[in-house]
Amino acid sequence: MAVFADTDELHHVMVDLWTAIQSDAEMAAPLLSSRLIVTFHYREPDGRLTVDCSDGREMVITAGECERKPVVEMFMKSSVAHEFWMGKVNVPMALIQGKIVAKGPVNKALALLPAIKPAYGIYPSIIEKNGLKVSTT
Amino acid sequence: MNPFVFHTPTRVYFGEESATSCGDFILELGGSRVLLVSDAFLEKSGMLAPIIESIIAATGNPPLIFTDVPPDSDISCVNRASELARANQCNALVAVGGGSVIDTAKVVNICLTFGGELMDYQGLNIIDRPLLPLVAVPTTAGTGAEVSFVAMVKDHDEGKKLMFGSPFLAPNVAVLDPLLIVSLPARLTAATGIDAVTHGIECFVASGTNSVFTNAICLEALRLLFEFLPQATVDGTNLEARGATLAASCMAGVAFTNSGVGITHALAHSVGAKYATHHGMTNGVLLPHGMRFNLATTAPQYARIARFLNFTSGGSDAEQAQILVDRVENLLKELKLPRTLRELGIPELTADNLKELVDMASSDPAIMFNPKEASDDDLLQLLKGAY
Repeated sequence: MAVFADTDELHHVMVDLWTAIQSDAEMAAPLLSSRLIVTFHYREPDGRLTVDCSDGREMVITAGECERKPVVEMFMKSSVAHEFWMGKVNVPMALIQGKIVAKGPVNKALALLPAIKPAYGIYPSIIEKNGLKVSTT
Repeated sequence: MNPFVFHTPTRVYFGEESATSCGDFILELGGSRVLLVSDAFLEKSGMLAPIIESIIAATGNPPLIFTDVPPDSDISCVNRASELARANQCNALVAVGGGSVIDTAKVVNICLTFGGELMDYQGLNIIDRPLLPLVAVPTTAGTGAEVSFVAMVKDHDEGKKLMFGSPFLAPNVAVLDPLLIVSLPARLTAATGIDAVTHGIECFVASGTNSVFTNAICLEALRLLFEFLPQATVDGTNLEARGATLAASCMAGVAFTNSGVGITHALAHSVGAKYATHHGMTNGVLLPHGMRFNLATTAPQYARIARFLNFTSGGSDAEQAQILVDRVENLLKELKLPRTLRELGIPELTADNLKELVDMASSDPAIMFNPKEASDDDLLQLLKGAY
C-alpha cells in the first residue's frame, strides 16, 4: 500500500518537512550557501517539489509546477522518498540499483546529504501530524 | 547478508591478438559504420592498423578515425567526435586507448544515440535504454573503463568535471589484448596498475554496497596485481604479467562499478581536478593515507585481504590489517611511484587551496561509499599528511 494516498497528501508532507528544515538555522545554512535549486520528481503518487536556495538568504519551497529551472533534479518513487526521510535508505545502494535518478551536477546535491540528516528526526512527527502512519513500506 | 545488486553487461574477451576480432564483434552487434576513437600516439605507433583491418574485413567499410583525444578529455573533444560520427552516419563505436579515450567514446555514444543537449544526460541513471554498440579495447591496465558504468569528461569553460553514470554506458564488449600494452612505459604501467589496486582495496571495504560477488573479484584481482604488477613494470614484454594485470584491472573495474570506491578516490579526484595530476599516481600517493584513516573500521576486511594474499601467518585483525598497509607502501616503493603530493609536483598547499580540495572531496560521489564518515577536518589532515 502506498504511503501517500494522493499528490495533495504527498505535497503537504514534503512542504511541511522542508518548511521545518528552512526554520532550522543549522540545517538551512549550508543549503542556502549552496545556492542550489533542486527539484524532486515523485511518482506513485506523482508529485513535484522545488527547493530554491538561489538567493542565498531565503529558501523558496514550491509544490507542483515551478518556473525556476533546477540545477539538480532527483527522480524517485514517493515510497523511496518516505523511506529516505525515515533514515532507512542506503543512498549509494539506491543509486546503484537505479531507485534514485539524479540529473545534473549530482555531487552538489550529494554534498548536502549530511546537512539534512537531522531532518530524519523531524520527519516522523510531520507524518503523524498529517495523519499518516510512521511505519516504513 | 546485506541486500546487493551485481551485474556486468559487458562481454569480456581476453587473449593475445583478440583485438583483431573487433570487426567481428561490431558486426555481431549490428554495426556497419564505425567511429574509431583513439589517440594520436596509438595511431602513430601503428597499433590501430590490425584493428582497422578487422573492421574493414567484417563490415566492408573503413572506420572513421578520431584520434584527437587529450589525456584528460573534454566536452569540445566529445563534440568534435560526435559531429564527425553524425556526418558520416556512424552506427557503432570502437574505443582503443586508456580511460580518457574510452570515456570519450562513451559520452560520444550518448550524443550519437540520443542527439539533443549532452547536459540533459549528465547525472546518474538518466540514460535508461541501450546505446549504439561500443567495443572497448584498453591499452592501459588500470582504469577499468572498459567495463564501468561511468564516464567523466571535463568542461573547461566551467572548470568542472561532468559525470555520466548508467549501466547502459558500459561497453558491449571489452577486448583485453595483452599485446597492446607491451609498449606501455614502466612509469605508466605502474601508475595505471596502482589505480587498479586502489579499486580493489576500496571496493572491498565499500560501505553497504559490496557483496560476495565483488569481494571475490577484488581478492583475485589484488592477488594478480600484487604478484604481476612489479613484473609487468620491470619487463613490459612479459606477456604473462601483462595479461594478468590487464585481466585484474578489468576485474577490479567490474567490482568497483557495482560497489563504488572511497575516500582515496574522492581525494584523488579533487587533487587531479585542481592540479591535473595523473589519476593513478595520485591514488597511489593517497591510498596508504586513506587506508590508515579507515583502519579502525575496516581492520577485519583488510586482514582478510592480507591473509588471502599470504602476507600474514597470524595475529590480530589490527596487526594483519597494518601489514596490508605496509605491503601497499612497499609496492609503491617497488614501483618507484611518487609517495607524496609534493613529489607529484603540487606546489605548497595554502589554506585556501586546502579548503578548495576538501570542498571538492567532500562532495565527490566516491566519498559516499567510504566505510567511515570523514569530516572536513579529517580530509584536511589526510591531505596535509600526504603532502
